[in-house]
Amino acid sequence: MRAMFKKVLVANRGEIAVRLIRGLHEMNIRSVAVYSDADRAALHVRMANEAVHLGAAPSRESYLRMDRILDAARATGAEAIHPGYGFLSENAEFAAACEAAGIVFIGPSAESIRLMGSKTAARKRAMAAGAPVVPGTEDPVTDGEEARTIARKIGYPVLLKAAAGGGGKGMRRVNSEDELEGALRDASSEAERAFQDGSVYIEKFVERPRHIEIQVLGDKHGNLIHLGERECSLQRRHQKVMEECPSPLVEEHPEMREAMGEAAVKAARSAGYYNAGTVEFLVDADRNFYFLEMNTRLQVEHPVTELVTGLDLVHWQLRIAAGEKLTVRQEDVRWRGSAVECRIYAEDPDNQFFPSPGLIRRLSRPAGPGVRLDSGVYAGWTVPLEYDPLLAKLAVWAEDRETAIARMLRALDEYYVAGIKTNISFFRQILTDERFRQGLLHTGFIEEFFARHVAETPDAEETERMAVAALVAALHATGAKPAATAVGAPVSKWLLAGRAREMR
Amino acid sequence: MKTMVEVDGRGGTLQWDRTEQGSSFALELEATAAQTGVARILEVEPGIYSVLLNGRSYEAKIVPGADGDWYVDVDGRHYAIGLTDPREQAPGVRGQNTDGRQNLKAAMPGKVVRVLAAVGDEVSEGQGLVVVEAMKMQNELKAPRAGTVVLMNAREGMTVTAGEMLAAIE
Repeated sequence: MRAMFKKVLVANRGEIAVRLIRGLHEMNIRSVAVYSDADRAALHVRMANEAVHLGAAPSRESYLRMDRILDAARATGAEAIHPGYGFLSENAEFAAACEAAGIVFIGPSAESIRLMGSKTAARKRAMAAGAPVVPGTEDPVTDGEEARTIARKIGYPVLLKAAAGGGGKGMRRVNSEDELEGALRDASSEAERAFQDGSVYIEKFVERPRHIEIQVLGDKHGNLIHLGERECSLQRRHQKVMEECPSPLVEEHPEMREAMGEAAVKAARSAGYYNAGTVEFLVDADRNFYFLEMNTRLQVEHPVTELVTGLDLVHWQLRIAAGEKLTVRQEDVRWRGSAVECRIYAEDPDNQFFPSPGLIRRLSRPAGPGVRLDSGVYAGWTVPLEYDPLLAKLAVWAEDRETAIARMLRALDEYYVAGIKTNISFFRQILTDERFRQGLLHTGFIEEFFARHVAETPDAEETERMAVAALVAALHATGAKPAATAVGAPVSKWLLAGRAREMR
Repeated sequence: MKTMVEVDGRGGTLQWDRTEQGSSFALELEATAAQTGVARILEVEPGIYSVLLNGRSYEAKIVPGADGDWYVDVDGRHYAIGLTDPREQAPGVRGQNTDGRQNLKAAMPGKVVRVLAAVGDEVSEGQGLVVVEAMKMQNELKAPRAGTVVLMNAREGMTVTAGEMLAAIE
C-alpha cells in the first residue's frame, strides 16, 4: 500500500470541482485546479491551492485535452487525477494514459471502464453475471414471423428499437400483434433513413418505469459493497432534476434494496470493478427491476447517499485509489433518515427551460439545519455559455421524507439568485404536488405534471406578495427614499382607506 | 403617484403615496382582487427591502431585469414587474408588426452557430433562419410565416443576449 497522496489534480470545473477540492483539503491533500479561458475567475480556481491554464473556452480545447491535463499533473507534481463526472471521467483511453504516465486515475481501471462503457457490452456482461435485463433480443429481427414469435414470448406492449440508433428515431411502441407488422415496416424504414441501417430489435416496453440506481464501492483488494439506492425518476428530457434516498418505493418494500444491491454488486464484480460506481435500473409497476447501464464514476447525485449513510464517497475514492482497504463491510452500512436533492440549473422554467447563462448579480444561500449546498458559483460570477447549466446542488437531510420535503421548501425560500434565471420556482411546484408527496414517481412524471397542471388563480397570500413586489418596484424605480418621511405630506384617501382596513 | 403596472404579465394600476405611517397604496390587477393598505418599507441593504404589511413581514429583493422591467423576489417567490408612467404610454407599442414586418428575437442568450438565410431570401413558414446555442442546447429561430428576409443581424460565432433582434421578415 502506498501512502496517501500529497497532491491531486482535479480535471473538472463547476460545482463538482469545488466538491472535490473540499474533500482533498479535508484530507490534507493539496489541490490543483485546471481551467479554460472562460473559467479564470471560477470558484474552483479560487479555492484550489494551485491552478493550471488549459486553453480556450470550448471543452475540446480545454477540459477534454488529455495531453494538457497530463502535462499539468506532471508540471505540478500531482500524484493522482480525479476526473469528476462528465468530461474525461468515463474515458478508458484517458484512464489508461494516466496509468501509463505513472499518475493514479481516481476511478476504476481502464479495463473496467471499457467493459461497462458500452451499453450493449454492459448488458451482456450484466446478463452473464445474473442481473436481470429488460427482456428482448440483442440481435435484429429479420421478418414478421420471427418478430411475432419473439413479441409473443416477451409479452405486449413491446418496443421496436433501431439497432444502430438513438434519440428515439426508429422507435415504435407496439401494443398488440395486429399492429406489429406495420410498426416493424415503419420503424425499419425510419431507421434506414436516419442511420442507413434498417435493422430493428425488440424489447419489452416498460410502462411508467422508475429509475432507481445503486451506489457501489469497492477496493483494489476484492472488497465490494453497495450503499443502497437513489430514486432518480424525476427527469426532464432524460436529464435528472431531483433525486432522493431512500426511494419511496424501496421504503415500502425494503427487500428491494437487498435484491438490487446484490445484482449491482454482481454486475460490478464481473467487470473487476473498484472505486465508486453506479448501477442504474429500470423498475416496472410490478417492482421488477432491470439492469440499464453502469456509470463508472462519481455521480452528480452522490450527496443524498452521503447524507443518509454518513459515508464520504470522495474520501473513500481517494483512499481506495491510494490502495487502502475498504474497512466498511456490507453489514456496517446503515441508512438513516431521508435526503432529497434539487439540481439548480441556469434555465428559465417560464420560458421552456431555455438556458440562462450570464452575470449573477446577487446570491443568497440557504443554510440552517440539515441543509447542504454544493455550489460552483458566486455573486459577480458570469456563468459561461460553453458548459452545462448546473449551478449547484441543494440537498437536505431530515428524519423522514415528509420532513425532508418541508425542509427543502424552506431552503428554496432562502435561496435567491438574481441576474440569471434558475429553476428554483419549478421545484417548489413539484414539491407541493400531491402525487409527488405520495411518492408516485416515474420517468414521465414531469411531463404528466405539466399536462395536468393548470395555472392557479392567486390566493390572498399570493396577491399580497404581488402587491409588495409592485410597491417595492415603484418605490425603487422612482428613487423614493423609504427611510425618510415626508413632513406635512397631505393625507391621501389611500392612506385613509388603508387605515380603515387596519382598524378592522 | 399613479403608474401602470404589470405583475408577471397581469396588467393594472398602482397608486401610492408616502405618508408618516408608511407607503399607502391601492393595487388593481386583472383577474385579481383589488388591494389597498399601508406598508412600512425600509431599505435594509442596497436593493433589499424589509416590508411590514398587515402584520406580516416580507423581504423583497430587487434587481433590474430585461426591457426595463424589475425582478422582485418576495420571500423566495419571483415576480417580473413592468412600470409605465400613464402619461408616457402610447397605444399599441407593446408588440409590433402593424406594418407587416415581423422581428425575430433570440429566445435565449448564446452563440450563433448557424445562419440559414440571407437578406432577400424568400422563406416559407416554419423555415429555420438562425441557430443559437448555449449550455449544450440549440434553439432554432424559425420564420413565423412566409415572407422575405429584410434584415439579418446574426453572424456565425457572435454572442447574443435574450431578446436581441436577429432578423426580420416582411
